Amino acid sequence: MTDTALRQGAPDRTRVITWLQDYGVYAAVAALLLFNAAFTPHFLAVDNFRTQLVQVTPIVIVALGMALVIGTEGIDLSVGSVMALAASVVALYLGYGALPAIAMAVLAGALVGAAGGTLVAVVGVQPIVATLALLVGVRGLANVFLPQLKEFTNPTLVALGSDSVAGVPIVVIVAVVLTAAVAFLVKRTTFGRQLVAVGGNRAASRLSGLPVRRVLMTVYILSGMLAAVAGVLATSRLQASDPTSLGLFMELSAITAVVVGGTPLTGGRIRVLGTVMGALLMQLLQATLIKHNLPQSWTQMAQAVIILAAVYAARERR
Amino acid sequence: MSLFSGRRARAAALLAAAVLVASGCAKSEDTAASPAPGGSEAQQQVVKTPSGPAGAGCTIAQHGATKFDLKTGVVGFSQSEKEANPFRIAETQSIKDEAAKLGIANLKVTNAQSQFSKQISDVQQLIAQGAQLLVIAPLNSDGWEPVLQQAAAKKVPIITIDRKINAKHCTDYLTFIGSDFVEQGRRAADQMIKALDGKGKVAILLGAPGNNVTTERTQGFKEQIAAKAPDIEITFEQTGEFAREKGQQVTEQLIQSNPDIDGIYAENDEMALGAVTALKGAGKKAGDVKIVSIDGTRGAVQGIVDGWIYGVIESNPRFGALAFETAQKFLDGESIPEKVIIADREYDESNAEGSLSQAY
Amino acid sequence: MSVSSPVLEAVGALKVFPGVTALDRASFALGQGEVHALVGENGAGKSTLIKVLTGVYRLDEGEIRYRGERVEFSNPLEAQRAGISTIYQEVNLVPQMSVARNLFLGREPRGRFGLIDFARMRERASEILRGYGVRADVRRPLGSLGLGAQQMVALARAVQADARVVIMDEPTSSLEPREVDKLFRTIAELKAQGRSVIYVSHRMEELYRICDRVTVLRDGRLVHTGPLAELERLRLISLMLGRDLAEVAAEGLTKFSGQHHSHAAPILQATGLRHRHVLDDVSLAVRPGEIVGLAGLLGSGRSETAKAIAGALPLDSGEVVVAGERVPGGSVAAAIRAGINLLPEDRKAEGIVPTLSVRENIVLAALPRLARAGIVSEGDVDRVVQKFMRRLRIKAAGPGQRVSELSGGNQQKVLLARWLAMNPKVLLLDEPTRGIDVGAKAEVQALIDELAGDGLAVLLISSDLEELVEGSDRVVVLRDGAVAGELDGAGVTEDKIMAAIAGDNDD
Repeated sequence: MTDTALRQGAPDRTRVITWLQDYGVYAAVAALLLFNAAFTPHFLAVDNFRTQLVQVTPIVIVALGMALVIGTEGIDLSVGSVMALAASVVALYLGYGALPAIAMAVLAGALVGAAGGTLVAVVGVQPIVATLALLVGVRGLANVFLPQLKEFTNPTLVALGSDSVAGVPIVVIVAVVLTAAVAFLVKRTTFGRQLVAVGGNRAASRLSGLPVRRVLMTVYILSGMLAAVAGVLATSRLQASDPTSLGLFMELSAITAVVVGGTPLTGGRIRVLGTVMGALLMQLLQATLIKHNLPQSWTQMAQAVIILAAVYAARERR
Repeated sequence: MSLFSGRRARAAALLAAAVLVASGCAKSEDTAASPAPGGSEAQQQVVKTPSGPAGAGCTIAQHGATKFDLKTGVVGFSQSEKEANPFRIAETQSIKDEAAKLGIANLKVTNAQSQFSKQISDVQQLIAQGAQLLVIAPLNSDGWEPVLQQAAAKKVPIITIDRKINAKHCTDYLTFIGSDFVEQGRRAADQMIKALDGKGKVAILLGAPGNNVTTERTQGFKEQIAAKAPDIEITFEQTGEFAREKGQQVTEQLIQSNPDIDGIYAENDEMALGAVTALKGAGKKAGDVKIVSIDGTRGAVQGIVDGWIYGVIESNPRFGALAFETAQKFLDGESIPEKVIIADREYDESNAEGSLSQAY
Repeated sequence: MSVSSPVLEAVGALKVFPGVTALDRASFALGQGEVHALVGENGAGKSTLIKVLTGVYRLDEGEIRYRGERVEFSNPLEAQRAGISTIYQEVNLVPQMSVARNLFLGREPRGRFGLIDFARMRERASEILRGYGVRADVRRPLGSLGLGAQQMVALARAVQADARVVIMDEPTSSLEPREVDKLFRTIAELKAQGRSVIYVSHRMEELYRICDRVTVLRDGRLVHTGPLAELERLRLISLMLGRDLAEVAAEGLTKFSGQHHSHAAPILQATGLRHRHVLDDVSLAVRPGEIVGLAGLLGSGRSETAKAIAGALPLDSGEVVVAGERVPGGSVAAAIRAGINLLPEDRKAEGIVPTLSVRENIVLAALPRLARAGIVSEGDVDRVVQKFMRRLRIKAAGPGQRVSELSGGNQQKVLLARWLAMNPKVLLLDEPTRGIDVGAKAEVQALIDELAGDGLAVLLISSDLEELVEGSDRVVVLRDGAVAGELDGAGVTEDKIMAAIAGDNDD
C-alpha cells in the first residue's frame, strides 16, 4: 500500500494475495450480498437479514473461541460437544429457573475447557488429540445427562431465543456483545497480546517470562464457555434441548469461519472481525443456495472451494 | 508413559465429580407435555400384507433351521442407532416388552451406536453366543455378507425390521418386517391434497441424503401428487437431515424467499416440529401453512391437536409382537413371505386428541 | 571490473518490495573457479541477490545469465537442477528425516523398481560425512545432530549435487574452529575442480583467508567489485559502511571502549550451579557496571549457564542471588522480576515472535508494566517503543512493521530493546552479535558498552574471541560444563583464553 508499490505499477502477485487474505472475505461477503440483492426474490427484506444473523449466531460465537485457540497455534475440536453438553445441562437445571440453568451450562463449558487446557498446557498433549478425546467423551456425557430431545416451555429461555429488542433479536445482540468483548480482549489487553505471542513463538514467550500455561489454560476455558453460550442460544431458539444432534460438525464450521476470515492455523495472529465475516460468508452461501433451491451438495462444494482459496492465500503469504 | 500422572487422575476424578454434582442436584422443568413412554399395548402393529407373492414363502424345512422353543432358546436383537430418538426407544422397548410378555428368558440386546462395523461385530458375537434367532434393525442395507455367511452356516434364521437387507430371501434371511416408505409418501401426499384442496405450492423437507427412507418417502409423495393433484406445485426441496434444528433453519430460509408457500411436507416429525418453531418465529398462525409429516411421535400428534400440523402418517416402531409372532409361525412350520408389510395408521384432527396416549 | 567468462551473472538487477528497493540495478559476476566474497551491511541486498540468483524471487527488471545464457528459474529446485546449490545461514533441511535421507533428498540412489536403496544410501552417506569429519549414525534424524554437524551435512549435500556454483550464506556461524577448517578445505577442493563459490560472511578474517574476489553492496547498489587481496581491510569496511576511512581506523574494529573498573559488590552471584551432564558446579559473579565474558567451545555449558541463571533451565542444585536476594530457581518470571534478562542465542527460535510487529515484540515482556487492570495503555507502549527504537537506532519502516521483515541486526536490537524496557539489573547476552553485519555489530557492541557504563551488570557470551577480549573486564572460561579458568584485567588476551579452553592453563 506504499507509494513505491503504486509507482511500481506491475501488480505483484504476492501483494494481490496479501490483499486477498486481508480483505478477500469482506469482498466475498459483499459480492454475495450484491448477487442476492439482484437475483434472489425478497432478499432485501429486514426479516431476511434478521434470519441470516440469527442463524449464524451460534457459529460466530463458537468461532470467536476457536479463533483464540487457533491464535495460540492450537485447535479445539470439542466445541460441538460442549454445545450439546450445555443443551443437556440447561434442561437438567431448568427447574431452578432460566438464569441458574444457563449459569450451570456455561460453568460446564468452562470445566470442559479447563480439562482441555490442562491436557494441553500441563500434561503436554497435542491440542488436536486432547480435544478430540473431549469431542467424543463430552458428547457421551451430554447423552448420559439427557438421553433424548426434550422440549421446554420456560418463558425466559424461549424469549431469549425468539424475542427482539428494538427489532434486533436478543441472540444477535449477545453475539455482537461477545464479538466486541473478544476483539477488545485481543487488541487491548495484556492477555490478548500474550496470547498471540504464545501462538507466534512459544519458546520466545517462555523466555520472556510470559505465563504460557496460564494463557493456554485460559484460552481453552474461554473457548469452552463461548461454545456453551452458543449451545444455550441454539437451544433457546429450538425451544428444545437436543444433545444428540445439536452442534454436530460445529467444530468444522467454526474452524472454517476462522480460516476463511484470515487467521492462520499456524497461530500468532487473530482476526476477530474476519472470523465473523468468515461465518457470515458461509451462512450467506448456504442461504443463497437454499433460496435458489439448489442441492446441498452444491453448498458443500462451494464451501470447499472457499476454504481452499483461504488456505492457499494463507500459505502464499509466508 | 507418564500419561497417567497424578494430575490426569485428578482431572478424571474432577470430571467424575462433576457428573455426580450435575446429576445429583439436577432439577429439570416439569412439563405436562413431556412424553411418557407409551405402553406397548398401545399400538401394536397390524399386518397389512400377510402373504407375499404366491409361492415365495419360506418354511422351516426350506430354510434348514432346527426347531426350538422361543421361551428357552437364545434370541438376539441388534439395534442400529442409539436409543436417542422416540422411534428407536419405542422399537427396542417393544422388543424387550414382548419378549418379557412371551416369557423369552434369553434375549440378548446390542446397540451399534450408529456404527456399521460395530453392528456387524455385534451380530457376530450374538451368533457366537449361540443365538438361535436374530432380530436385526439394520443400519445399512448392504455389507452384511460376513454375518450372513456365519448365520447360514449355523442355520440361524434372521428377521430384519424397519430396514431391509439386500440379500437372498430364505437362504440369507427369513423375512423383512417393516413399513412401505413409498406408500407412506403417497399417503402423506393424500393428506396434503386434502389439506390444500388439490391446489397450491408445497415445499419438501427432505431427510438425510443418500438414505432409502428419504428416497422412497420422496418418490411416493411426488408420484401421488403428480397423479392426483397436478395443480399442486412442488416449488422447493431441501434437506433438513431428519433433525429439528436443521428443519427449523431451512424453513426460516424458505418462508423468507417463498412467502407464498401453502404446505410443507416433512419427511419426519422432527423436521416438522422444527418447521413449526420457524413458522411461529416468523409470526405465522397455526394453520397458515399446512404441514404433513411422517412418523407419528407424540410431539407431532400434539402438534395436530394444537393446530400447527395438519396430519401425520405413522411409521410404527413397535415391532415386538409381530416379530415374535412371525418367528413362532416359522417354527411351527408355516410358510413366511419375503416381506411382511405393516399397516401404518394416520393421525389428523379427527383422531389426534384421542390417539395422543397411543403415539410413541 | 569484469570477469572474462562469468559462470553466473546478474545484470542491472532491480527488485522492489513494498517500501524498500532491495536491489537497485545492481550487477554481479562470478567467474569460473573463483571464490567470490559477497559483503555488505544488513539490508545491503546480499540475501535478495542470492534469492534472485537461485530462483526464490523474480527480478522486476534486469536479467540473470547462467553459463552465458539468460535464465529465469522459477524456484530454487530448478536452479539446483541446473547446478546452483545454496547453503543457507539457517539449515534448511528436514530435521525429522534421517541424516542419510537429508543428504540424498531428491536424488536418492535407486534400486530395482525405482525403490530407494536404503542400504546403499546409508553406506555412502556415512562415507561422505566421514570426509567432513562428521561421525554420526546416519539413520538418526538430522535434528538430533548439533547445529555445526547439521551445517556440515548441508554443505556435503550442496557439494554432492553436481553443482557448478555453490552459494554459502554465513556458513561458519554455527561451526567449531575444527569444522571451519574442514569447510575451507572443501572450498579449496571445489575451486581446484573449477567450481565457483559465492561466500557471504561478516567475518573479515575468513574472507581474506579464502576469497579471491569481493563484491560490496550497499543499499541495494553495487559499490565495489575486484580482487580481495588488493583491498585493505579498513578500506573494505569503509566501503561497506559508506563511512570515512579515518573514522573507521580511529574507532577500531569493535566498538568496545575497554575497561569499566568497578569495585562495587557483585549484584549477580551464581554459586554451585549443577545440571546433570551439562553444568558441573559453575559459579560466577558480576558487579554492576561490569562486563564479564563467558568463553568456551560449543557444548562447554556457556548457553546453559546463562539459561540456568535466567530460570530457563531447572537446576539440580546451586543458587542465584541478585542484589542480596535469592532468586527462586526454574522460573523465568521470577528471574525477570529479580532483574535478570536473557538475550537468547537462537534469535529466531527463542527470541522474536515473527508474526508480530516491531512494536509488539519490543514490549512483549514489559506488557504487564504498561497496562492497568490488564488493559494495555497504548500511549505508554508508544512512548517506550519510540524511546528504544530511537536509542537503539532500529531501522524499520515503522513500529508497525513485522519483525520478521527486519534484518538480523535490527531483530537483535529489537530483542535488546525488549529487555532494556524492563529496566534490568543483569543482562545475559548469548552471542549478541552473531549473524549480524559489521555495522550493526559495531552498534550493538557500543550499546553493550554504554549499558555497562550506566551501571548494568553484563554477562557476555561470544565465540568471537576478539569481541570477548575487547569487550570484557573479566572472562570466565568454561570447559565441559565446569569453570576452567578466570582471567582478569591485563590477563584477558586471546592467547590466554584459548589456552584455558584447551586446558593447559599454567596460571
